[in-house]
Amino acid sequence: MAQLPISYSASITLNVNGTDHQIEVDHRWTLLRVLRDVLGLTGAKRGCDRGECGACTVLVDGDPVCSCSMLALQVGGRQVRTVEGLGDANSLNVLQEAFLAEDGGQCGFCTPGFIMSATALLESNTDPTEDEIKAALVGNICRCNAYGRIIESVKAAAKSEAS
Amino acid sequence: MTTFKTIGKSEPRRDLPEKLTGEAKYTADVQLPGMLFGKILRSPHPHARILSINVDAARNLPGVRAVVTPFDAPKGQVAPDMPILDTEARYVGDEVAAVAADDEDLAEAALSLIEVKYEQLPFVTDAVEAIKPDAPQTRPGGNLVGGKPLTLIRGSVEEGFAQADRIFEETYSTPAQAGAALEPRAAVASWDGDNLTVWKSTRGVHADQLALSLALDVPRGNIRVMGQNMGAGYGTKDETRLGAITAVLAQRAGRPVKIELTRQEEFVAGRHRHGTTTTVRMGVKNDGTVTAVHATTIMDTGAYLSSGPGVIRRAGQGALYLYRCANVQYDGYLTYTNTPSGGSYRALGAPQGHFALESLADTISEALGIDPLEFRLKNHVGLEGQPGERVTPANEVLDTQPVEGGVPFSSNGLRECLQRGSEAIDWGQPSERPESGNLRRGKGMGMFIYRGGAGGRSIARMRLESDGSLRLLTGLMDVGEGSLTVMPQIAAEELGVGYGQVLVTFGDSETTPEAPLTAGSTATFSTGTATKEAARQLKARIIEVVAPLLDTEPSNLQITDDGVEHIQYPERSVSFAQIAESVGEIEVEAAISPGSRDHVINSFGAHFAEVEVDTDTGQVRVLRYIAAHDSGRILNPKLAINQVEGGVSQMLGFTLSEQMLTDPRNGVTLNASFLEHKSPTVQDFPEMQVLFADVVDPVGPFGAKALGEPPSIGVAPAVANAIYNAIGVRIRDLPLTPDRVLNEIEAQRGDSQ
Ligand code: FES
Ligand code: FES
Repeated sequence: MAQLPISYSASITLNVNGTDHQIEVDHRWTLLRVLRDVLGLTGAKRGCDRGECGACTVLVDGDPVCSCSMLALQVGGRQVRTVEGLGDANSLNVLQEAFLAEDGGQCGFCTPGFIMSATALLESNTDPTEDEIKAALVGNICRCNAYGRIIESVKAAAKSEAS
Repeated sequence: MTTFKTIGKSEPRRDLPEKLTGEAKYTADVQLPGMLFGKILRSPHPHARILSINVDAARNLPGVRAVVTPFDAPKGQVAPDMPILDTEARYVGDEVAAVAADDEDLAEAALSLIEVKYEQLPFVTDAVEAIKPDAPQTRPGGNLVGGKPLTLIRGSVEEGFAQADRIFEETYSTPAQAGAALEPRAAVASWDGDNLTVWKSTRGVHADQLALSLALDVPRGNIRVMGQNMGAGYGTKDETRLGAITAVLAQRAGRPVKIELTRQEEFVAGRHRHGTTTTVRMGVKNDGTVTAVHATTIMDTGAYLSSGPGVIRRAGQGALYLYRCANVQYDGYLTYTNTPSGGSYRALGAPQGHFALESLADTISEALGIDPLEFRLKNHVGLEGQPGERVTPANEVLDTQPVEGGVPFSSNGLRECLQRGSEAIDWGQPSERPESGNLRRGKGMGMFIYRGGAGGRSIARMRLESDGSLRLLTGLMDVGEGSLTVMPQIAAEELGVGYGQVLVTFGDSETTPEAPLTAGSTATFSTGTATKEAARQLKARIIEVVAPLLDTEPSNLQITDDGVEHIQYPERSVSFAQIAESVGEIEVEAAISPGSRDHVINSFGAHFAEVEVDTDTGQVRVLRYIAAHDSGRILNPKLAINQVEGGVSQMLGFTLSEQMLTDPRNGVTLNASFLEHKSPTVQDFPEMQVLFADVVDPVGPFGAKALGEPPSIGVAPAVANAIYNAIGVRIRDLPLTPDRVLNEIEAQRGDSQ
């Protein structure tokens, strides 16, 4: 007879895109699951749920992380930023505008993850080389392989932020 | 030179803004009140009879709301060889039972409480083994689909080989390659009385609606399928079992149910590019003229047929039609095994067939002392088509993958692709010699042909809405290829308004008219043709109703961005809103079965690669890549470039790193993850140049032909030929991983000693 999993829960304060949320979380829940299923922030995608694809990338205290591979409990009291915090379709930010102009996506499932990884890059390095761009995005898989257009998008964003 | 308002312009992708902000909803993002989570129990055996299933413990777990097994599932079929659930499991991972519970963890726990009694049956995991007479039988009818090969013939290869001075024959193999779209398959089902709504990651809402109707025995009109945004599939997301299981659970629970596959499930129970073994035999004269081509492909369809019959046929297209030759034959053996199912995957069998054909072409060129480019320029099929007699009756539409000769192409830019691509890579110029002693560089090429876009019957509806907006409605799904952008371009151009003025509704079986699958690179050509015709009709209708309002003849009127105006007296005009106000909504619908009675419509291309091989590590690096394509007029250059670059990069995965591995001892898929079925990343993306031949097809909408799949065909031969050029080692089995390259260097060095 199989053993049923035991669960514990705890209350944490999760700061997402500048807003505090008091949440009761099961100790097994990942940050991704809480963002998607509890807070309804579905921009971060579940591409693999085990740290291989980057579709779930969000920023925690400014660093890009795979939210599928971090427990929600680890993030209590820290600053989480998701793609929803960057703007909506009628008011794209500079990076998103560059992705639109350079066609930096196809099916778009990987796109929020790339946007968050690129956001972290451009916040720490305003004038990245092509190699630096590639190094910053290597944890994000795009199965449509729109990589050429994604690289151009990030370059264009860096350029228009500089001007 | 025609000038266009929007055709040929890089209009921004219509659905990208909301994908950039996370607002775009994919199926897994759908949340409904009271929604349950479903999970599927999968077979641990490659082939087994399910004797009994005890679900009592699972059912008694608090929070479990529904269970379905093969013994109590509705009896309908989701495909000719696949019921909703079956009492026979045919591969490790085959669906056995499913549960729905209050949350994912409970559903998972419930699966572990289900007890299944299996009787294990003999199994086979290799296609070449499976067609041997004493192989374990996967099905009562035998392993070979249809009991015989698919044979396609033009002329007589015996005669062709008799005319040859020399005959060459080689055998090549390609592995199963997982589509592994980044979005794992998901479905959400919700019942309201007798009416079922399904949200699904799909490439054809109407096909799903029909399949669900047959499987569940529910009238088609009671089922609504909504496509949502689609996290890609490259052809692989076209089966219905997941949707049917979700619907049955939702019906039993009386609540909505969502099932999301895990990444591992997507690898195993998703669909993949069929593994193949292909032998090509080619006869040539000493001057390089091709006299005969005979290809034989053994293809592994896995546990189920899926689109195997189409894929086996497509694998022969290169051998039958790429080289000008009166005597050709193709034999395709499609075989069941007890492994995961193959399916449609970008260009179906064409990449596999072309890998063998275009590798052998290089072997022949070298043996005859002819430059590989010259060999292709001398022999490639021209505008006039293949020699021979037309067999299709004169008044019938020609197949876009014909076998017969005697029919010209509508357009053929293959020669231009060969010429411009070879110039771009400085073909005559040998690669630079790298400084370090263990690095070798070389160049290679491959050319290709692919069916050109005429698909199934398409319907497009266009509307002047009551508020004066213009709307295109089609049942098409945009699966990442950009039809949501290109269709309104076509409509706007035909109407004579700006791109942004045409709104679109896509992918909902209830509100949009029937469209075929977004498949076979047919969307632009087929639904595009219907869209163009609907726009033409709407324009005519609008002008017709406005003429009396402006007190003139229709011929004096033209459409502008704002409405309709008099050509000579532009001040006499009415806005679209005014028109709608005075005559009400106007709606037209165009249904077309695209194709040509006079011409074969095909797309063409030639790819060129320069690689660097590290002879110490076996590592292959692609330094430069040129992709030259004839896809007719390019309707949106930026989207087209993205499509080609993506297709090439995706197939660099197929060529260099990706392979689904099945353990022959137990049928288990050994590498169901992105780490072990290694996907290209941004760091593998080579310097790439995309060229488009200056071709305007006389049949396609605004001169366009198919583009979605062709980029994937030329990659493997171009890279393998470049490796041969670099190190003199011919590798006949994909993928060209470092260990394989090293082993082949070792082995072939041994041979030559
Ligand atoms: S979903 Fe987190 S890395 Fe793939
Ligand atoms: S755009 Fe489809 S996975 Fe990146």
